[in-house]
Amino acid sequence: MNGKKLKVVHYLNQFFGQIGGEEKAEIGFVVKAGPIGPGLALQRALGEKADVVTTVICGDNYFSKNPEQAGEEGLKLIEPYHPDLFFAGPAFAAGRYGVACGGICKAVGERLEIPVITGMYPENPGVDMYRKYAYICKTGNSARNMAESISHMTRLAFKLISGEQGAHLVSRENLPGPGEYDYFSRIILRNEYTDKTAAERSVEKLLAKLRGEPFESEVILPKFERVAPPPPIKDLHACEIILVSDGGLVPKGNPDGLSGRGNLRWTTYEIDTFLPENFKSSDYEIAHTGYFPVQILEDPNRLVPVDIMRELIKEGKIGRLHPHFFSTSGNATVSRRCAEMGDEMGEEIKKRGVEAVILTST
Amino acid sequence: MTREALMRLEIQSIDIHDLKPGAKTYAKDRVLYVNCKELEEILLKDRRIKSVDIHFVYPGDRVRIVNLMDVVQPRCKIDKVEADFPGFIGKMQIAGSGRTRSLRGITVLVSNPCSNRKYSALLDMSGVVAEMSRYGKMKHISIAPTMADGTEERDFEDAVKIAGLKAAVYLARATEGQPVDEVEVYELDPPSLNKKSDLPRVAYYYQLYSPQHDHIGISDPCFYGTDVRNLTPTIIHPNEVLDGGVVGAHTIRALDTYTIQNHGVIKELYQRHGKDLIFAGVVCGVANMEPVTRSRQAMMASSLVKNVLGADGVVLTKIHGGLPHVDLALVAEECEKLGVKTAIFIQPLVSYGTLADTLLFNAEAVNLIITVGATMERIKIPLDADRFLGGTADTKIYCPDPIIQHAGDPVIDVEQFLMAGVHDHLGGANIIVKEY
Repeated sequence: MNGKKLKVVHYLNQFFGQIGGEEKAEIGFVVKAGPIGPGLALQRALGEKADVVTTVICGDNYFSKNPEQAGEEGLKLIEPYHPDLFFAGPAFAAGRYGVACGGICKAVGERLEIPVITGMYPENPGVDMYRKYAYICKTGNSARNMAESISHMTRLAFKLISGEQGAHLVSRENLPGPGEYDYFSRIILRNEYTDKTAAERSVEKLLAKLRGEPFESEVILPKFERVAPPPPIKDLHACEIILVSDGGLVPKGNPDGLSGRGNLRWTTYEIDTFLPENFKSSDYEIAHTGYFPVQILEDPNRLVPVDIMRELIKEGKIGRLHPHFFSTSGNATVSRRCAEMGDEMGEEIKKRGVEAVILTST
Repeated sequence: MTREALMRLEIQSIDIHDLKPGAKTYAKDRVLYVNCKELEEILLKDRRIKSVDIHFVYPGDRVRIVNLMDVVQPRCKIDKVEADFPGFIGKMQIAGSGRTRSLRGITVLVSNPCSNRKYSALLDMSGVVAEMSRYGKMKHISIAPTMADGTEERDFEDAVKIAGLKAAVYLARATEGQPVDEVEVYELDPPSLNKKSDLPRVAYYYQLYSPQHDHIGISDPCFYGTDVRNLTPTIIHPNEVLDGGVVGAHTIRALDTYTIQNHGVIKELYQRHGKDLIFAGVVCGVANMEPVTRSRQAMMASSLVKNVLGADGVVLTKIHGGLPHVDLALVAEECEKLGVKTAIFIQPLVSYGTLADTLLFNAEAVNLIITVGATMERIKIPLDADRFLGGTADTKIYCPDPIIQHAGDPVIDVEQFLMAGVHDHLGGANIIVKEY
């Protein structure tokens, strides 16, 4: 932070932007100069260090109906101001406003690569949707907490823009602690230096556990949900089946860049070109470092059983094979991302009208 | 009836402040002078080695050491012959009793410049890595043997490993007569169930190895000269671990011989022995590739912990990787079933998600989890070196993304477990994993 004043753009909904109440929730984007409403408190908290140059306002319904598109639209209005910092809300417990604050933060943060800060009440649906993309400060559930919330948001913003090295982190990144700065963690993990070694912590905590005293696990066990199996397929003869595999089968050169470990992506390949009957084993590679892929590289049908499916179609046992195959690499991929990829694939499969999936793993 | 402990290990530490080349190898006033020619001759006695590069490396040197296979603390036995790293260079005898000299402040860095492995570790003596690594502040002798014609790849890897151990012993021997800075005594009676004490009995389960990354399908020797791929869970004395019975595998994955010589959990249990707890002993086992074997081994390990060592609690540490995570959790679950309270080390495998997301098991009883480090956390390292040891600027540096990068690139993107001396699977590092 040098002597230059930072430029701040602030996002508000129609209500806080002083355009109107629920009756104006359909209104599109409006840009006003300087701070407005909560922006005045924001300006006070920023003091001499930064100026709220512009306030961008949008109706809650307009934004939340299509957050991706609205985010893009808002970004175009914000970009010309070249802000150093971006604030939205805070949205408190207001659901649509939370989605809008999160959505606009996501668009601005990703494109302009500046700190984006908003504030929400824990139950706001915007928290889970956007915590990955924005620093969302924890707030109370209503505007009664405005001044306090804004002061948390600015404190966090100044920390983010400070350019300090995070000496407490092995990576030295300047990442403020979610506890210390009162924001919802962005669902990333970082190695942090600590006074006690892992050995000291383990023995100390184990002794507490043995004495029947309270002890603090460094990981709280997750609650896994049970997934009910879908009903069986009644008529396989008329059914279209898609093949999905997490074995990391990709064309030579791995054009979609699946990672061999900790992969977070999935992709699709057209079966007729990807795995024709007269395939050449030299055309493939395995983006998966967790198993010995020699046999699969010799015959990729052993991972993605297209050959068997073709036979079954000829025999009339199944209706069709979906012309695309979904490929991903499941090796030390975090369960959260697995669930997300499952949702993404499931949605796509449904959209394509496919009735059944065969998942092959390694 | 009183008697002396059968396993009494005395480690005499000598602080070495400087390393210098010399006409002979000796120590004076905490400076270790090394006759590199003599060391070279010793290492070249192994016919699998054609030549060996030996260099001194100091903090602040703009040097990057690559193809790093091991880091060894110079140590030698004082009162026993042919007893150093038994099974590797010494004769087959039980490690862990008698007197051992240990040099502090210096190590032997062992590189295999002929390595074909996907993973190989590195150390920089300046810049980011030097700041992060405990080895960044120490002085080192870097050795890098090259392969003699006609040597098998895996056979050569064993030769490199052994060269590192030999060099470590050679350096320690040269400091005879130097004043000792600290004496530590590790003394533990054989476990006895009958001994009356109000203190809880705490055992240690040591997952020694995982065969999942075996290079060309062969396991690395790490236990009295042999590999432990098919090891049935067994009981060893903790001193055997500290005193050369166990060494690092052929790749540094947040673990090397130095780390084992200074084993975090074993030293911690020793320190509290007789005060807060009774150190009930060590059970070691390996990660298993096959589910039935895994269940059998987990059952046997838990039985040793409970029924043979009579432990009330157990600390469990893992080797690098996902499969070992699953395997270790099963051992912990079996221990809890038998009423043994557990503290289990885990290593989140990715930096995305919550801590809970990174668990690879679902066992309610395994409820005390220690995050030893997200060892696969990525970091971008700007090049600060103008010299490369153990390889060249063209040596490949592993990245899980489909990109090819080299040691001499302006920036490399690496996972922290490949940076020697940053993480420690045995609990010796001051690192915890937090959500951000």
